[in-house]
Amino acid sequence: MIPASVQILHWSHYVAACLFALGLFGFLIRKNAIVVLMCIELMLNAVNLILVEVSMRSGHPEGLIFVIFIITVAAAEAAVGLGIILNLYRAKGTVNIDAFRELQG
Amino acid sequence: MREVFFMIFSVFTVLAALGVVVSRHAIFSAFSLVLSFFGLAVLYLLWGSSFVAMLQILIYTGAIVVLFVFVVMLLDLKKEETLDSAKTGPLVLAGVSVWLFSLLVLRALNRATFFKSTNIEAASDMKSISTLLFSKYLWGFEILSVFLLALIVSACVLARAEHMERKADQ
Repeated sequence: MIPASVQILHWSHYVAACLFALGLFGFLIRKNAIVVLMCIELMLNAVNLILVEVSMRSGHPEGLIFVIFIITVAAAEAAVGLGIILNLYRAKGTVNIDAFRELQG
Repeated sequence: MREVFFMIFSVFTVLAALGVVVSRHAIFSAFSLVLSFFGLAVLYLLWGSSFVAMLQILIYTGAIVVLFVFVVMLLDLKKEETLDSAKTGPLVLAGVSVWLFSLLVLRALNRATFFKSTNIEAASDMKSISTLLFSKYLWGFEILSVFLLALIVSACVLARAEHMERKADQ
């Protein structure tokens, strides 16, 4: 479908690495729990991009199957995570993750 | 043409992802997330995988980001943290660790052998995807459906308001 001469598409795993690095950076530095969840979604999307590239370049549709699974699990993670964040907000009135330190002893 | 689209939309996607990380308010992060997912869908289309592009638009921008926006609107987030409030020590440490990690990932990606082949014929075929999904990965697919049922129940339990529960008891 894609001619092999389109070499620049082969750079898309660098795009995916950039996305993953940005998501990881945001995950580490942001204090808002909702934005932290969004950064996790970014990292999952970076993995999806790499899987699509590998699947398209090798001709095996297995990568696309795993993309379907990852999208489902990402939706589940977002729904449950936002439910937990809702409960945390009810408990403390904030979603700043520095406010939830009860478990550190 | 494909090259130009790829360059434009990869830069667009990365810039939108940067917007997710540096936005001060969570609602702007959510909108940047929509833009980033849209750019990724275009990249999937350029790779010839229209099925995954459709899933990306439908599920990510149609369902997940709507959930995020809904929760951001539901919560009263007046006093938002800014990036300035983060101390510079953790910022530098996070930057260095992310940089080292991406070096590691890029090294692994460059050494991977599956990037050598360029056989792009069968993968995007919808028939081959569905045949594989309902033969080799049938159990994974069924477990995923049970998992989604458990997700529905747990999300309902988690998001239920406790004061409504108390009202019902009285």
